[in-house]
Amino acid sequence: MNPQTALLIFGMGMLLVMFLFYPEKGIYYRWKKAILSTERVLIEDALKHLYDCEYRKVNCTLQSIAGNLEISSDKAAKLVQRLESLRLITSENSNLFLTPDGRSYALRVIRVHRLWEKFLADETSVPEIDWHTQAELKEHKLTPAQANALAAKIGNPVIDPHGDPIPTSEGNLPEHVGVLLTTLKTNDVAIITHIEDEPKTIYSQIIALGLHPGMQIRVIENSQTRIVFDAEGDEKILAPSFAANITVELIRDEEEIQKEFNTLSNLKPGEKAEVIRISNALRGQQRRRLMDLGVVPGTIISAEMVNPSGDLIAYRIKDAVIALRKNQTDHIFVKNIEDND
Amino acid sequence: MVNKKEEIVELANNLRWEVGGNFHDSLMESIYKEAGDIVKKTVRKKDEKHAFGFDKKLDKIVTNKWTGFPIMFILLAIVFWITVQGSNYPSQLLSSLLVGDLYETLKGFSHSLAIPQWIDGLLIDGGYLAMAWVISVMLPPMAIFFPLFTLLEDFGYLPRVAFNMDSLFRKAGAHGKQALTMSMGFGCNAAGVIATRVIDSPRERLIAIITNNFSLCNGRWPTQILIATIFIGGLVPANLAGIISAGAVVGVAVLGVVLSLITSWGLSKTVLKGEASTFNLELPPYRPPRVLQTLYTSLIDRTLIVLWRAIVFAFPAGLVIWSVANIHIDGISLADYFINWIDPFAILIGLNGIILLAYVIAIPANEIVIPTILMLTVVHFGLHGVGAGAGVMFQTDSLSATKQLLEAGGWTVLTGVNLMLFSLLHNPCSTTIYTIYEETKSIKWTALSTFLPIVMGIVLCFLVAQIWQLF
Repeated sequence: MNPQTALLIFGMGMLLVMFLFYPEKGIYYRWKKAILSTERVLIEDALKHLYDCEYRKVNCTLQSIAGNLEISSDKAAKLVQRLESLRLITSENSNLFLTPDGRSYALRVIRVHRLWEKFLADETSVPEIDWHTQAELKEHKLTPAQANALAAKIGNPVIDPHGDPIPTSEGNLPEHVGVLLTTLKTNDVAIITHIEDEPKTIYSQIIALGLHPGMQIRVIENSQTRIVFDAEGDEKILAPSFAANITVELIRDEEEIQKEFNTLSNLKPGEKAEVIRISNALRGQQRRRLMDLGVVPGTIISAEMVNPSGDLIAYRIKDAVIALRKNQTDHIFVKNIEDND
Repeated sequence: MVNKKEEIVELANNLRWEVGGNFHDSLMESIYKEAGDIVKKTVRKKDEKHAFGFDKKLDKIVTNKWTGFPIMFILLAIVFWITVQGSNYPSQLLSSLLVGDLYETLKGFSHSLAIPQWIDGLLIDGGYLAMAWVISVMLPPMAIFFPLFTLLEDFGYLPRVAFNMDSLFRKAGAHGKQALTMSMGFGCNAAGVIATRVIDSPRERLIAIITNNFSLCNGRWPTQILIATIFIGGLVPANLAGIISAGAVVGVAVLGVVLSLITSWGLSKTVLKGEASTFNLELPPYRPPRVLQTLYTSLIDRTLIVLWRAIVFAFPAGLVIWSVANIHIDGISLADYFINWIDPFAILIGLNGIILLAYVIAIPANEIVIPTILMLTVVHFGLHGVGAGAGVMFQTDSLSATKQLLEAGGWTVLTGVNLMLFSLLHNPCSTTIYTIYEETKSIKWTALSTFLPIVMGIVLCFLVAQIWQLF
């Protein structure tokens, strides 16, 4: 075989492999996605949608199911029939309602979804934007027993990483609390409690701003066209339609308000600081490891030395010298203190 | 009674919502606070500044922008030099004992007992010889390299290397400590894989395990040097041959480091993207190394474990090596069947069937690849006057003899270059594969570590061969 032919065949082979296995666009991924929309998946997604309507106190119809599940009205009609025959829903003047059985089924699915999001957030490095998509797939696969085992493994969490409560195994949920970010007035201080993860386009822009549940914000301006607020030391601007996807809880107690947002990454070698808290942006293993090392409120940390490239700093924490990267120290709030000795 | 219990459970469940998601944190904070208070009351400290004075000065030098890297490279070079120089004599001694005298004695003994030839061949020429070969070339360098490395570790210097190198590895999605496991891999990949235990972040540890094979190990250096001297040194005038061939070997090693960084980056962005990742690097205080303890633990933990695994795998492989050259079907040996079958493919990637067969059957240790290639070349081409018989691995007495033999086997400069590349990029030896499985307990990651380098090696050799032939 002459070299030209050999190289040509090789090139074509590489293209074929790309065509088959290219992430998210390749044949293999599409095929994997396609085999997932079985009847069970449709039933569970419809129940979830109905539960969501109930929680938000709006009416659900056949059309809204078709829209939410991205299926034709014909298919949606068949699905509704099937749900009714399973006694999971009832209908009244074209409005659809969950039966008690349907509600508990929906809550079981939601429980798995939120547990899985919590697992992804704490125990893996899957990016925030992919949590919801992956949980959408996983929620149809775990049995209640597996869900309980998962919950036990990650410390029986009560809140998912978006700030939504996770239904208990008995199907209980607490009362909905908090207000929308859009309702705050200038100088109100609040904690973000929930960021809605749908639609994905809006969610991805909100997380791109670095906003996350547990973050403290102070409103600077709230008008018809925009809402400007300080989020832990950085000024952010959102359109009201975006801000409506964020739920917050007001802080009324002056003492609970954090005023300084200096981070450990600003500490120069030779300076000392006291830890105020670790931002909620550091989760799961990252957060636990830092706390294991003694990075807790009140700990005194001094910056000791910088590596030759100047981007890794070693700190003295509780008499041990430990190097931490900037993507960690950016999320550790400290207040500088004078060196007394 | 039942009602009371249910009430309590219900109350507890409701209270959980009020406690919120962060109660684990609060719990931990209060424990630290409590411990801190007790320490304040009960522990008295010596003058801190005095105690850390020496450490600080030394740290300033070894992590300095100008002196940090030169010190690192010089220390590493010294370790390698001592290893190479120091292992020369013991290797020869072991070889003449195990492969020479003891082998002869065993052969004579089996003759005197009139043991059937095939049993004698299978067990002594095959199993025993492979095992003896592996021990004699593997043991001395490892017994020198590992204690030296452990001494540097014990002194506290190695964490500073990780600290200096972290920027580079961070960009590749890896941990600074991978610099250490990579260096360890230059001694032995299996030991390098075990050394990844120092990386406590799951994703970065897997990256370090999977890419460790790109560090040219102790078993592959001799192959690289031999082939570079014969084929690359042969291209230039004799007075330049030494430096050029040494440059070629270093070039292959550097290529390995570069590929290891690129692969690390690729892995962290694709298959390992979702694995949990954390970072922290402790820089412990310096302390005088505990020499005897270090010698003992590095011999037991690193050298002997690895050597034992190598022996366990070498013996059966020796049986296979002997068998493929000696079992005939219709007058053709198994080796010849395989060589003839794979030869067209091997030629396509610039190698030959003998080389590929040698890499398959010499999987327990890279050390025995060249002896196997020499033996197979003699058997396959039916050469006379060289070698020690079918299935018996051997070494030639001189470079020129090796060269003649390989050229008789149809080797060209391209074959030499591609063998050097393939020696860098092929599956880890079986000891390392087994160690990877032991460390990860995952067939998936073991398979990835095994097949990724083979695929890379085949693709690279193919491209080199075809582009070479274009000109």
